[in-house]
Formats: sequence, C-alpha cells, structure tokens
Amino acid sequence: MPAQLPLLSSQCGRRLFLQRLAATAAGAVLAPTLLQACKGSGSGNGSGSGELVISTFPLYIDPDAPGAPGSVSRFRRDTGIQLRYLEDINDTRQFFARIRPQLAAGRPLVQDLMVLPSWMAQRLIGLGWLEPLPLAQVPNIRNLVPYLANPPWDPQQRYSLPWQSGIAGIAYNIKATGRELASIDDLFDPALRGRVSALLEMRDTMGLLMLADGQDISQPTWAAAQPSFARLEQARKDGQIRRFTGNDYQNDLLAGNLAACIGWSGDVAQLVLEQPDLRFVVPESGGVLWSDVMLMPKGAQHRREAAAWMNWVYEPVEAARIAAAVQYISPVVGVRQQLAKDPATAALAANELMFPDGAMQQRLHSFGPLSESEEARWEERFASITEG
Amino acid sequence: MPASPRAEAAARARRFWPWLLLAPGLLWLLGLYLLPLLGLVPLSLSEPLSRFGLETVFRGRLATYLEVLQAYGPILWRSFGYAASATAIGLLLAYPLAFAIRFRGGRWQPLLIGLVVLPSLTSYLVRAIAWTSLLGDNGPVLALLQSLDLTAAFNGLGLLRDGRLLNTPTAVILGLLTNQLPFLVLPLVLAMERIQPCLLEAAADLHAGAWRRFTQVVWPLSRPGLAAGILLGLIPAAGDVVNPLFLGGPNERMVANTIDNLLLVQLQAPRAAALTLVLMALVTLAVLVQLRGRGLDGLPLP
Repeated sequence: MPAQLPLLSSQCGRRLFLQRLAATAAGAVLAPTLLQACKGSGSGNGSGSGELVISTFPLYIDPDAPGAPGSVSRFRRDTGIQLRYLEDINDTRQFFARIRPQLAAGRPLVQDLMVLPSWMAQRLIGLGWLEPLPLAQVPNIRNLVPYLANPPWDPQQRYSLPWQSGIAGIAYNIKATGRELASIDDLFDPALRGRVSALLEMRDTMGLLMLADGQDISQPTWAAAQPSFARLEQARKDGQIRRFTGNDYQNDLLAGNLAACIGWSGDVAQLVLEQPDLRFVVPESGGVLWSDVMLMPKGAQHRREAAAWMNWVYEPVEAARIAAAVQYISPVVGVRQQLAKDPATAALAANELMFPDGAMQQRLHSFGPLSESEEARWEERFASITEG
Repeated sequence: MPASPRAEAAARARRFWPWLLLAPGLLWLLGLYLLPLLGLVPLSLSEPLSRFGLETVFRGRLATYLEVLQAYGPILWRSFGYAASATAIGLLLAYPLAFAIRFRGGRWQPLLIGLVVLPSLTSYLVRAIAWTSLLGDNGPVLALLQSLDLTAAFNGLGLLRDGRLLNTPTAVILGLLTNQLPFLVLPLVLAMERIQPCLLEAAADLHAGAWRRFTQVVWPLSRPGLAAGILLGLIPAAGDVVNPLFLGGPNERMVANTIDNLLLVQLQAPRAAALTLVLMALVTLAVLVQLRGRGLDGLPLP
C-alpha cells in the first residue's frame, strides 16, 4: 500500500465552487422530486442488484483528481464492489423527511448506509428504523478512537460507526471584517450588520449562542435556551443575520456576501485553498463538537458490501487520504501518523482543529440529547426564527 | 320522422367527440390536481398520532386553521404584497414593451417576442442563482450603483438595506418580476393585436395626443390582456419558492417556503395542509375577482 497521499491543490477551486452551487440548488429545491424518486426505486429494488448505495453530505470524501483516483474509485477498483455514492444530503431534517415515509411503512430504502449527525442517529435508533451494523465483519473497528466509541445513545456500538467529527465555530473573512474575531458577540457587532449568517443546524447555532451565555449544552434545557432564542430572533429581525444556511454558506463566504458566519471547521479549511483571507476560530466561550456517523437503514440488503466499505475507510492509510481532503476530525487511530509521514500533509498533522489537543478539547462541547417533546418545541421555536 | 340510423350514429358521435377530446385533460386535472387537493382537507383537520409516524387521526380540528392564520398571516400578507409589487412594476415595463412590439415592431415583431420569452427557456432555478451573482455584495449591479453614487439615495428609499441588494425585498421582487414579465407582455401583445392601427390614426385625426390615445383607445381595448397577465403573473408569484429562498433572507420568506418548512422540516403535515388550502382559497378568490363572471373568452390567453 503506497503511503503517498494525494497532494491538496487549489487547482480545482472553481470546480468545487460550482459543485457546491449545484449541490445547494439540488438540496434546496429538488427534495420533493427526490422524494418521489426515492419511493419508486426503494420499493421495488430491494435485492439482487448487488450494488452498495451510500447517501452522504456533499464534499465529504476525497474526490477524483487527474491521476489520483478518489476513495470511491479506489474502493471500487480494490474490492470489485459496485458502489453508488450519493452526495444527496444537504439538510439533515429534509433528508429525514425524504426517508421517513418508507421507513415508517416498514419498506427498505435504496440506501445501505447513510451518513447522518449523531442526534439523528439517536432519533432513528429510538424509532427502530436501523439495522445493527455488521461490525463483526469490520476488523478495522479496532482503529476507532476510544473517545468516540460507545456513545451514550448507542452504548454498545451496535448501530453507528463514526464517519467524521467536526467543530461548529466562527468563520470569517479578515478583509471584510477588518479585524480578528474571537467571540460570538463579534457576530452581533452592528458594523457587520447584514453580513452575518447562522446555521440551520439548530444544535450548532443554538449550542454556540448558549455557550456564549454561559449555559451547559451537555444538558440543554428549554429555560436555559430562552435568552439565546431571544437574541437570535432579535438579530434576525434587526437584519443583523442575513441568512440561515446549510452547506450553502460556503458560496456566500467565497462570493464575499458574508463577512462572518457560523460554519464548520473542515469546510473552512477547504475554502481557504480558494480564498486565503478566510479564517476559522473556536469562540472564546467554546465550540460545538459534532459527529456524523454511518448508519444502516432497516431492511438494507448489502450487509457484506457495507462491511467491506466500513472496513476499508477504517484502514488508517485510506482514512488519512479522506482526512487530508476534508480536514475534519478523523475517527481513525493512526491517521495523524500517516499524515505526518508525508511532507505534503505534515502540516495537517499539527492542525489542532483536526487533532484537538488537551487545551482545545476543553473548549469543545457536545450538544446533549433533547427528549422527543422537547425537540419538537425547540424546532418549532427555531423555525419561527429562521423562517420569518 | 324517425332519423335514419346513420344520422343517429353521426349525432351520437358528435355528442361523444368533445368528451373524448376533453377526457385526457379532465382525467389529468382530476387525478393529479383535484383529488390530491381534496385529500388535503381531511389532513388539515387531523392530528398526527406520533411525531415521526405517518398515521394521522381525523379530529375535525378547525383550530389548526386559526393557529396557521395567526402564525403565518403576516407571511401570507407579505407574499401577496411582493407578488402584487412585482406585477405592478412588471406592468409598468410590459405596457410600453407590448405597445412597441405591436405597433412599432414591424417585421422584427417575432424576434422581439422571442427575446421576451428567451429568459424563460432557462430554468427558473438557474435564473435565481444567476441573480445571486449579479445582485451580490461584490456584484456588478451594486458596483454600478456605487460608481453612480446612488447607494445612499437607494438606501434612503429603502431599495437597498445597509447598502446591499441580495437578501432584501428588492431582490425578491426583482426575481419574481423576471419570472412573470413574459406572462405580462405576451397577453398584452395579443390583446393589442386586436386593436386596429386605424383606431389610433382616427384618434390622432381627432386631435387626441399620445396620452389620450393611450388612455382612451389602447388602455380600454387592452384590458382583457391586462386581466390575463395579472392572472398568469400574480398567482404563480404569490406561491413562489425559489426567489425568496435564494434572493431573500429570513425576513423575506414567502408562504410557499413556510409550507415547505412545515411539511419537510417541522413534520407538521396538518398545518402545512391547512396553510396550503388557505393559500389556494386566496388564489381562487383572486381569480374569481379577476374574472368577475366574464369567463375566459374575453381573455387573450397565449
């Protein structure tokens, strides 16, 4: 296995930008159409095709580059398994709305694996809509970093295997802000009015605001969230917050429509290649640590192939290639060593956003669970802010 | 006198043919429009059994409508406001355009009509995304305004917000306007086709100036086109999803965005159904007001 990692280059910057635009457009508008498509193919296509289908977020793996095939291509080549890798998740909740009719009716999806945030994993586990993962056939699970193993919502690691983790914090364009930003309060600076965006991912936006209010987000309560809700609502009404976004904040950052926003660590690391003035900072009051996991929907047919995929991406060399491209926190032990070995990626091995050290870990907090009724109340309140 | 069997058969066929011709369209409307729409009525009066399950139970819950009107009344109001503004501005542009195409177009007329329709050949989604580049903070439109030193004036007029154009009401209305302009121009051109140039000449002979020729000849005779234009322009604009999503911000959301969010994000199907029906009722009302019993025959629909 060659340890040579694909170099990170900015040559594909324009292409990435267009891909992002396309992904945004598709995610924003085509969801209902896809719903139909999902229905049609999902009911009839249960077995037999022998094709592993994975749904995930866009730009979440190393892409094919000239002369350097990406992970998807190499997996196909190395294993001979047919893999359909769909980057069709833009917004977690919209994706849930797409898969819900099938799963609620007890019918299988086309997908064999889905990459979704841990809070959604918790919901799906609670609903009984997941298959246990075939982890007995994934010997590389021994490479899972210990602190991500056996999370409270999946205590025996039966249903989920981490894909990547990351940090929600502040992204900004130093030229546009004219100064370094350090705290959530900076996002509410009147000088930046109308040039700030926040995330539609409620736990990230609310988590950061609540941390800034000195609240404990590991056990979020309705009462503790009220000041943050009020602050967010006021900022929206005042025009301080220009948009609430999914992945699409990246376009606005690159186009110069945003001076600062709530964003995700790895995204910004990738965007810096195209726009060197961009910065990412974990706010003084703390950042929100999230985790996306691989899940198998009920009735998935290709367990053997899914196991092969999970085993493959948990191989440290492969995981390092993915990490070098997406620059999130890899859940695989040994990635850091792999990156350090190669001069082209050695700098990444020292990146504290990819490999948080003790001090950084202290500043990162995970958003705790919300009960089903609490969550409904939170989402309604949050939507009343984000949807005007 | 008993009709010959042949004449009887011919009469039967005459009665039968129109229905046969209507059948595909009627079945289409019935199966893909009317039935799903009626299906929303019981759904809007139901409550979901669980948050994530599909089952709902019919409770005859009219309160949903009240809640929806209370919560989203301002958004409904805003939607029709934006749509009406876009239509009004659109008409200001469309009238001279249609007039020029009809009376001054000459042999270029087909080409000019083609140019009006041309933008519609691009997907409305692509157009909205293209607008985001044009109207962006570093885009050419703002650059032009800045070079003309008009930013402060436009800010004062409320057309810009904090010196920006993207994610403001202005941008949303511009987007809606682009979408509906062809639908305003084409019926007007068709209506004006029916105005004989000799009528204008006669008015001129009677010493009517340009303005009087317009108000007393062109305007009354083109009004059916106006009605059709409003019908075809205003209604789709009121239910637009894409423009507020890309060109607006959270303060510029329109009712279709809310329905989308209720259904796909908040998973509150009954509320989404209720809001949809309220929107449909308002649109139907607008159509009825437009037609006011005249029927469609007076309208030069393209």
